[in-house]
Amino acid sequence: MIRDIVSFLDYSICAEVALALFVGTFFLIFYGALRLSRNATDKFAAIPLSDEVEEPR
Amino acid sequence: METHAANDPSQPRDISEPSQSSLELERFSYDDGIVRLFATATIIWGLVATLVGLIVAVILVMPELTNGLPWISFGRLRPLHTNAAIFAFAGNGIFAAIYYSTQRLCKARMWSDVLSRAHFWGWQLIIVLAAITLPLGYSQGREYAELEWPIDILIAVVWLVIFGGNFLMTLINRRERHMYVALWFYIATIVTVAVLHVFNNLVIPAGLLKGYSVYAGVQDAFMQWWYGHNAVAFFLTTPFLGLMYYFLPKAADRPVFSYKLSIIHFWSLVFIYIWAGPHHLHYTALPEWASTLGMLFSLMLWMPSWGGMINGLLTLRGAWHKVAADPVLKFFVVGVTFYGMSTFEGPMLSIKSVNALSHYTDWTIAHVHSGALGWNGFMTFGMLYWLLPRIFQTKMWNDKLVSWHFWVGTIGILAYIIPIYAAGLMQGLMWRAMDDTGNLKYPEFIEITQSIVPLWWFRVLGGLLYVAGVVMMCVNALMTWMGRPAKYEVPVHTAPRLSKTYKDEPAPKSDLDDVPVLDLAKKVSVFAKMGWHRRWERLPVTFTVLTTLAVIVATLFEVIPTFLIRSNIPTIATVKPYTPLELAGRHIFVSEGCFNCHSQMIRPMVAETKRYGEYSKPGEFIYDRPFQWGSRRIGPDLAREGGRQSSYWHWQHFEYPDVVSPGSVMPSYRHLLEDDLVFEKIFPHVEAAHFLGAPYTEEELTQTKEVAFRQAEQIAAEIVGQGGPPNTFNKQAIALIAYLQRVGVDLNRTETPAAETPATDAPAGDSPPAETSTDEQPTPETPDAETQEAGA
Repeated sequence: MIRDIVSFLDYSICAEVALALFVGTFFLIFYGALRLSRNATDKFAAIPLSDEVEEPR
Repeated sequence: METHAANDPSQPRDISEPSQSSLELERFSYDDGIVRLFATATIIWGLVATLVGLIVAVILVMPELTNGLPWISFGRLRPLHTNAAIFAFAGNGIFAAIYYSTQRLCKARMWSDVLSRAHFWGWQLIIVLAAITLPLGYSQGREYAELEWPIDILIAVVWLVIFGGNFLMTLINRRERHMYVALWFYIATIVTVAVLHVFNNLVIPAGLLKGYSVYAGVQDAFMQWWYGHNAVAFFLTTPFLGLMYYFLPKAADRPVFSYKLSIIHFWSLVFIYIWAGPHHLHYTALPEWASTLGMLFSLMLWMPSWGGMINGLLTLRGAWHKVAADPVLKFFVVGVTFYGMSTFEGPMLSIKSVNALSHYTDWTIAHVHSGALGWNGFMTFGMLYWLLPRIFQTKMWNDKLVSWHFWVGTIGILAYIIPIYAAGLMQGLMWRAMDDTGNLKYPEFIEITQSIVPLWWFRVLGGLLYVAGVVMMCVNALMTWMGRPAKYEVPVHTAPRLSKTYKDEPAPKSDLDDVPVLDLAKKVSVFAKMGWHRRWERLPVTFTVLTTLAVIVATLFEVIPTFLIRSNIPTIATVKPYTPLELAGRHIFVSEGCFNCHSQMIRPMVAETKRYGEYSKPGEFIYDRPFQWGSRRIGPDLAREGGRQSSYWHWQHFEYPDVVSPGSVMPSYRHLLEDDLVFEKIFPHVEAAHFLGAPYTEEELTQTKEVAFRQAEQIAAEIVGQGGPPNTFNKQAIALIAYLQRVGVDLNRTETPAAETPATDAPAGDSPPAETSTDEQPTPETPDAETQEAGA
C-alpha cells in the first residue's frame, strides 16, 4: 500500500521540498537568534568561563 | 569553596535527597576521576591508532614486509587503524571533554558514578574486542562499521543506555538553568550516533561472528554512506564543536565571539548534515535524485561549517597575543583552521564534476586526514594539554615539549597531505587520460599505481613526524602524572537546585496590541518573538526530542523513497544469487578486506568503461550483502572480473602478486592456498541469504556441502587443466576464485542453458547488457537452471 503510494509520487521534486524546508527553518532560527537580547547572549556566552555557581539561573 | 581529598569517603559527591526548598544550598563536587580515566585512554589509544596508521602506510609501499601473514595484511589492518583513530582515540577524547565540561556547564556531578565507570570500561572492552577481531578477519566489510553484530549490540548498550542515560539524567538534574550551546552539540551527538548505529547495523546472524545486512546492493550502499558520512558529522564534528565551544573560551579566557551565531550554527549544521551522505555515491548505481539531493545539501554545509569556524577563531579577538605564547591555543587555532579547510573542501568534493575526478583516488585520503589529523587530532591535543595540569593537579612537566609537539605535528600533517593530494590528482588525471586515437593513455592500472608510490613514501615521513609528536605527548603526560600530589584535592561547591516551580519570563506582548489588526496578526507577532525557543533551550528532554526530529525527518526523506520506489532499482532477470561456494568465497573476500583496495563499481564514464567494461547497473547488486562498491582504488576495479582471467591465474596471483602483475603492491595471500575450506560452515551463509530473499533451490538448502563441493572440484580441475597444481579443491582460494569468476557476469548471461563454461580471457563487458525488467522480485529459477549456474 505505502509502496504504491510512494511509487506513485513524483519524487523528482524532493530536493526542492527539502530546500524549502531548510530555508524556512533556517530563517525562523536566524530571526529568533537576532531577537535575543544582548544581555542574555552575553550571559550565555560567558557560562563556560566560570566554574563557580554565581547565582541560580 | 572547600576542598577534600579525592579518596575521602566523606567528601560531598552530590545530594541524593531532594531539597526541601529550592533555595536551600546543596554541596557537591565534580567527578574528575572519570575525566582522568578517559584522558589517559585517549593518550594511549592515540599512540596505538597513529602507530597502526604508520604501519599500514609502510605496508603499502613495502607489501612484502607482511610475508603473507594474514592478520597484518593491509586489508585487515586498515580498518583497525580507522576504527582506532575514530572510536578509540577521538571517542575517548570526546568522552573526556564531555565528562569534564558537562559537569561544569550543568553545575552538577554526573548523575551516576557507576554508569560513568561502566561507560569507560565498556568502551575500552569494545575497543579491545575490535583490536582482536579485525586482524582475525571478522568484518562486516562496511567502512567504519566493520565490527560484527555481538560487538554492535554492546556498542548500542554502552552508548545509548549507559552513556546517553547518564548524560541525560545529568542534564535533568543540573543547577544551571540555561543549557549552554556545547551541551546542544553533545545532545545531537548522542542521539544521532545512536540512530545511525542501530539502523546501519541491522543484520541477520549467520553464526556468532558473522551477520548479513538486511539491506542489499544499492540500499545497503545508501544506508552505509548515510551512516559513514554522518559518523564524520556526529562523531568527528559535533562533539568536537561542543569541545571547541567550551575549551576555546576557557583557554583564551574570552567569551564566545557570538552566541547568536552559535545558535544558527547549531541548528543549520544539525539540519543539513544528515542529508549529505549520498555525495559519497556520485556516478554509482544510486538513483540520480538522491545523488543530486546529497550534492545540494553538501554545498549548503559551507554556511554553518564556516559559521562555526569564524565563531571559534573570532573568540580569540583581543587575545591573539596569547596564541603566540600558549601552545594550547596554537593547537586550537590550527585545529579550527583545518576544520575550515576540510569543510570547504568537503562540499567542493561533493560537486559532481569535481567528484568525478577525485572519487576513488588518494585525494579523498588526503581530505580525510587533513580533518582527522588537523581538526580532530589537534583539538584533542589542545584539550589534553589544557586538562592535564588541572586533572593531575600539578604543572605540565615540560612546556617546551608541548611546543615541540605542536611544530612536529604541524609539519607532519603537511608532509602527509601535500604529497597525497598530489597523488590523488595524478591518479584521477591518469585514469581518465585519453590519447589522440580515443584510447586510454595509460591502459595499465599498475603503471599509474607505480607512479604514485614515491609520493606514498612522503606520507610515511609525514606519519612518522605525527607519531613522534604523539610520543612526545605520551612522555609529557606520563611525567606530569608522576608529579601528581599524593591525594587529589576535590573542590566542593555549593548551589541550590533549580526550582521546579520556576516561572518563565512573562510571555512577550505583541507590538500590535494597540493597533487595529486581527487577533491572528497579534499572535503571529508574539510567535515571532521566539519566547518559545528560549523555553526549549531550558528543557533537555524537549530539546533532545527536537534534535532527534531534525535528523530523523531528513533521514526519512531519503530512506523511504530509496527503499520503496520500484524504478530506483530495476531488477535484471539474469541476475541470480551466488552459489554456496561463491557465497563462501565472497565471505572470504569481505573478511580479507579486499574492498579496501578493490572497488566493484564501474561508473558511466568513457575512461572507466574503456578500462573495465560495461558500467554497473543497480539491478546487478540485489544479492550483494554487503555491497562492495569500495571507496578507493589501490588495485583495479573488479566489477567485471568474472571470466577475465583463468582460475590458475587467480591462484598464482594470491601466492605471488608481484610475479603475476609486476609492480603490484598487493600482499601475498598464500594462506588462502594452504588453509582448508570447511564446507560444513557454508550452510549458515546460504541459510541467512535465503532468509533475506535469495531464491535457493531445495538441493542448495539441504545439500549445501555437496553442491559447493561439486563446484570446487570443477574449479580445481580447471586449475589442473591450466597447468596448476592438483588437489586444490578443498582450499579457501578455490571459494574466492569461484566468487571472482562470478563477479559481473550475470549482466551479460543468457538464460539459455549452456554447457560448462570455463573461464576465458574474453572481457565480460563487450557484449550488450541484458534487458531489464521492473519486477519487484527476481523470477524463481527452475532446478535445472540452478544446476547450470552452480556449475558455471
